[in-house]
Amino acid sequence: MLALKQNRTTPTVLTLSLLLGLCGMQDVLAGDTSDTMRVGDTQFGNALDPLGWTPMLQPADPDGMSLLHAGMLRTPTGNLYPYPPMVNAGKPVGQGDWLYNGEIEFGYLHVGGDRNAEYFRQYADWRSGPVLGLLALNFWNPKTGEYVEFRGNHLSADDQFYRLRAGQYGSYRIEAFYRDMPHTVSTNAYPIWNGVGTTNLTLPPSLVPGGSTPAQVAAVSAVTPEHNIGLKRTREGLSYEGVVYQNWIASAGITNEKRTGTRLWGGSMFFNYSFPDNGGILETVRPIDFRTTDINLSLRNVGKVWHFLATYNGSFFRNHKDYLDFQSPFALSNVVGVPQVANITTGQFSLEPNNDYHNVRLDLSRELKWNGQLTVAGAWGTMRQNDALLPPTNCTGTGGVYISPTANYTFPCANWNTTAALSEPSANARIDTGLLDARATFHPNQAFGWHAGLRWYREDDKTRYLAYNPLTGQYGFISENGSQGTVVPGQTGFFDPNNPLYASNSVPVRNVPVSYTDAVLELGADWQLSHKTSLGVTYTYDRNEPKYRERNRVDDQRFKLAWVSRDVVGATIRLSWEYARRDGDQYNYDPYVPFYSQSLPGFVTPAVGLPAYTVADMRMYDLSNRTESKARLIVTHPLGESATISATFYGNRDNYDALIGRQSTRTTGATLQWDWQPSPKTTMNGYLGVEGSRMGIANVNDADSVDNGKIYGSIGQTNPNLGGPFYPYANQWWEYDSETNRNAGLTFSHDFGRVRADLSYNYTGSVGHVGYNYATIGALAFRDAASVAASNQGFPDDKYRTNTLDMGLSFRVTSNVGVRLYGRYETGAFSDWHYLGLNNTLVYDHRLYTDKGGQLHYNASLVGVMLNLKL
Amino acid sequence: MTHRTPLLWVCLLMSTVVLDVAAEAPAASTSAAPPSVQDLRRMHPISGDAKAGAAKTAVCLACHGPQGVAIAPNFPHLAGQSASYLYVQLKEFHDGQRKDPVMTGQAATLTDDDMRNLASYYATLPPKPAGKGDASSRGAQLYRAGDPARGIPPCQACHGPAGLGPQPHPSAAPQPPWATFPHLRGQSGLYLTKQLGDFKRGTRAGNSNARVMHGVAQTLSDDDIQALSAYLSSW
Repeated sequence: MLALKQNRTTPTVLTLSLLLGLCGMQDVLAGDTSDTMRVGDTQFGNALDPLGWTPMLQPADPDGMSLLHAGMLRTPTGNLYPYPPMVNAGKPVGQGDWLYNGEIEFGYLHVGGDRNAEYFRQYADWRSGPVLGLLALNFWNPKTGEYVEFRGNHLSADDQFYRLRAGQYGSYRIEAFYRDMPHTVSTNAYPIWNGVGTTNLTLPPSLVPGGSTPAQVAAVSAVTPEHNIGLKRTREGLSYEGVVYQNWIASAGITNEKRTGTRLWGGSMFFNYSFPDNGGILETVRPIDFRTTDINLSLRNVGKVWHFLATYNGSFFRNHKDYLDFQSPFALSNVVGVPQVANITTGQFSLEPNNDYHNVRLDLSRELKWNGQLTVAGAWGTMRQNDALLPPTNCTGTGGVYISPTANYTFPCANWNTTAALSEPSANARIDTGLLDARATFHPNQAFGWHAGLRWYREDDKTRYLAYNPLTGQYGFISENGSQGTVVPGQTGFFDPNNPLYASNSVPVRNVPVSYTDAVLELGADWQLSHKTSLGVTYTYDRNEPKYRERNRVDDQRFKLAWVSRDVVGATIRLSWEYARRDGDQYNYDPYVPFYSQSLPGFVTPAVGLPAYTVADMRMYDLSNRTESKARLIVTHPLGESATISATFYGNRDNYDALIGRQSTRTTGATLQWDWQPSPKTTMNGYLGVEGSRMGIANVNDADSVDNGKIYGSIGQTNPNLGGPFYPYANQWWEYDSETNRNAGLTFSHDFGRVRADLSYNYTGSVGHVGYNYATIGALAFRDAASVAASNQGFPDDKYRTNTLDMGLSFRVTSNVGVRLYGRYETGAFSDWHYLGLNNTLVYDHRLYTDKGGQLHYNASLVGVMLNLKL
Repeated sequence: MTHRTPLLWVCLLMSTVVLDVAAEAPAASTSAAPPSVQDLRRMHPISGDAKAGAAKTAVCLACHGPQGVAIAPNFPHLAGQSASYLYVQLKEFHDGQRKDPVMTGQAATLTDDDMRNLASYYATLPPKPAGKGDASSRGAQLYRAGDPARGIPPCQACHGPAGLGPQPHPSAAPQPPWATFPHLRGQSGLYLTKQLGDFKRGTRAGNSNARVMHGVAQTLSDDDIQALSAYLSSW
């Protein structure tokens, strides 16, 4: 804690050190030292006690932070620190030097109203019954600095946490924790399948796979009981940090996170248009059964000249459910109207593979002249996965469409539903990363400083997979488990150089090993213009060189100004402005030819050519030329000794040089906050926030039908230019997304003596609007009169709103016994056009939905009474 | 919504009505420091009439010496001491927050002006001539750097690098009452030993500064106290 500077210790700093030291002692006694944690978990708490620590029987300390000065200290930017809780001096443990204190809060919660509302229980498992609000036990030895502390909370078996920490200040620390946290995805789901939560979804006996009508499916859906969709995160860990030898400090931590449950998922059996009864679009439910193990090791040394830090981070992801098979109730019918010779009744997903991640990093820094410091870092990492691959399909029998002996687009599933159809048995996927980072900073005097940094980073995807079936000599992959080729003749997903029916199929045959190298140069300077005013200037040049992307080089130059003054009419003002410009080399709208079958020997280009990959004027938003400006103003004004008012205004503007693609984004927002703590007994806070954002996108429909140009399938389809025959101006459309978010909060807490009242109100509201415009109806996917009329109506706004009122009354019956009454009342409203019509039925032709979406309106409440005992 | 919930809400809301009644009850035992403790945190440096103070020293000099340098090691030297510190001590003796068989009686008859004037007078006197002090001694080490491993803060943080009071840097942050911190250089070792012992035992705890010293002194062993007292008295 000593702040020695040239053998002279500054009294102010030392005094503050003393104060902090005393405050630190208070923290020890209060029992929470999470602010100093380097390893382990970062968050303990739940909806009942978000901080994981509500010291009901320990009111705020009227002495404030220190016996040395009156009033509360403020942060460097002017915000008040809160009053700390009063020190609990503890009781002796036996005859030794150890002391202890503890507290337990337990009681009963009652949940009423729409207790199953999705947004009410999204991250909290509220349910009526007994709860453990807090169990805290602290043991410490003031003479040796050793301590042991435990705390826990139990709302339910799905919502609880426990943590044990022990150590010796200045020497070592160990921590073990266990936590369950719920995540509700939907409480309004009606999956028709048996086996929800497993890897095999089977239809109920009343439905025939591939042979049921929409009416039959609708009837089953209508009587399907409501399901909750969601998952539970169980996280546990063990960590250590301590001095191993002189100035050498080591840390080691291992955490496991297990996620189990279900999630809404897809299930495409190809498009369900342009005519009824073809294809099938299903909303299924997939299982979640993940385990992620993270291992972190570090060794550091802080010497007089050199600072050293070596770290290893490993992450190991395991998915115990590596596929999802589902039965589809609908029959497929082909688009050419010939008798159906095949019917694909199942779909299959390959779910996330197991993967391993390793990263080693070395940081070195040393002090330089001119009050300078040089920091050099190097790191190497690798991500690998090599799971056994699933067969390309699990269909049986025959797939495809038979038109005539010379137009036989069928294929035997047996050629593809075996791992023998794979070119390699496993993925052998690997991405390596490398990092070199150097930075030098100098402050030759108090008025001026400068820094320079150079950073190089490479991400290299070494995965090379060719989709080749050695059984057939064909390339590619059976698309949509065979359903696509069973609806559209020839669209099976593979290329066959020896079969004229498939020799012109341009399909993906290789993975795209997207990689990049990024080099960043940063130069900056800062001036202390006066005792309380500073100015900082930073210039950054970022050169990104992607591989297998539309550009080989992207340059991003950024200029940033930051001005801070801590005395503008008594206020602290932080003002920053940033301008960036991005450009690069020539833009290639189709760099993906090598990854398609058109690059393979034997490929026969169709007489009319291949349709353009995309419109040439399309610009990917992460690669297009762009100008960006950002501004932010933060004002913090102390009002006397006990209040602070602060306001933030910010805005971002991005303009993209793109005729097609993302064209602009803009965000404007403001916050206003008022904090008041006139005494240790009273605190009050108010908060208002509003943010608006907009995004503009331009696109063009290809001329695929008679009523919008009809070029697809003819010679003009090779023309990629906007305004050409395939992408005529008449087919252009524009989308304008806007969203407004508002939130407000008010908290009040007062200690009346034996009773403390806590009141909190929170509001969040969001309105989203999807606006669009188009040149002619050629831009629309559906151009019949009814669809055109509907398109003129526009989309209804999406709305989301919650109001939450929390009240708490804590009665201190004696110094060791208290009673806490807790209540929450929450209302919410939700409206999303994506779910419109699903309250009537979840089945529309061959489209089957599972989730009806969040409740349109809900009111939920909970009340609880809890007994607090000091142990 | 169930019927039970609104009833519980009514109970919860009704309970707020009795808040004020409950507030009239005596505070719980976890309340703040007793009112007899002087809170010096907002205290500003005092001023007084040194000449008038000099006229009141007839009794004081019997123990503290004609020039404020004590005649015996069990009495503190007053010459050159911080006026605000001296005033606070006199007021504590006067008000009963600090007790001493002699000083309690002597201070009882003083008016507030008397105390300010006396404090101002002694502050103007030249301090006892400086000694050499052993800069390599354990006491010097504790004074300058403390002992972080044992949680002992450096004394100089509040008492100044030269032992003649703190030298605060200008700052807009809330400041400690620097003027109430005593000068320690050259002070009687016997007196210092007793005072540190009193701080450690909590028998001298009449103001907020003393409460800080209670925490500090608890980190000191008897040997530390002896070492510090010896160093300061020889400095």
